[in-house]
Amino acid sequence: MEDEAFTDINGKAISLDCQSHSGLCREFTVSSPKVSVGKVMVYTCCVWLLAYTVFFFTENTAVLSSAILITLLGMMLHIHFVKVDHESLLVIGSLGIQVSSSYASGRETTKFIEMSKIKDIVINEAIYMHQIIYYLCVLLKDPSEPDAVSSVVPLFQSSKPRLNCLVKVYKSCQEILSKC
Amino acid sequence: MVENSPSPLPERAIYGFVLYLGSHFGFCLFCLWAYVPEEWLHSIGLTYWPQKYWALAVPIYLLVALMIALVLLFGVNMNNTAPLDSIDNITDVYAQGQKPNGCHKGGIPRLKDVSISEVNNIFYLTPEQ
Repeated sequence: MEDEAFTDINGKAISLDCQSHSGLCREFTVSSPKVSVGKVMVYTCCVWLLAYTVFFFTENTAVLSSAILITLLGMMLHIHFVKVDHESLLVIGSLGIQVSSSYASGRETTKFIEMSKIKDIVINEAIYMHQIIYYLCVLLKDPSEPDAVSSVVPLFQSSKPRLNCLVKVYKSCQEILSKC
Repeated sequence: MVENSPSPLPERAIYGFVLYLGSHFGFCLFCLWAYVPEEWLHSIGLTYWPQKYWALAVPIYLLVALMIALVLLFGVNMNNTAPLDSIDNITDVYAQGQKPNGCHKGGIPRLKDVSISEVNNIFYLTPEQ
């Protein structure tokens, strides 16, 4: 189990946890920082002050109640659908890999890819918005055509770690993939 | 064989000067038409000109179009960038269709696209000297 000072592409601190369950099975978990109470308070106060100034000029109480409803609904949707708490990659040699991301509300989405469909796990560089980033991705192949890459599944999309973190995960994965 | 070069030539100087004079003259005419009151123009006999509204509208239209074109340029570029899960970030038609390298003894190897797995092996798995 290791925990060094890794950051994501924007500079925010993240943490990587590597667990080796057995010789052929390893799990990597990248955790993003939790939602900070200060930020939530600042956003809520801004929205409510804005709604109060609108109410001050229009004298319409629907503005206030709609502002409250919007902030509550927005926060609930955010922690359920947007805010990712941690993402994990579980590599089981000769069986497959499982990619799962768990959100701040406790919801978890998982995806399993069997080993016959996996061609390789590589670190690729691509243009993302206004910058070029490194990202870890799984290259999938069609079992009937073992030489061609059929599709790409990017990993750790919400936390987007930087290269030092990705190289650690890559080296560990390649040890397992080269054995089976 | 005539070489195309961007160096100054006498013909280019003449074209440039003609364009300069012509654009200045056109600007003077535009200012004249915009500032001279309509009655004076009518009294001379020049009656069929566009409304003075367009003296303001056309420059403003052009400037707003320029601003939007700038934003649109960045937007179209971002839209056309391949997303992170697209196969275009890994390979393309030309790289897949290349012939396997024939064994040339002692020659310069043929130029080819190295697959991403090989590149990763060289970068991240071999120990740095």
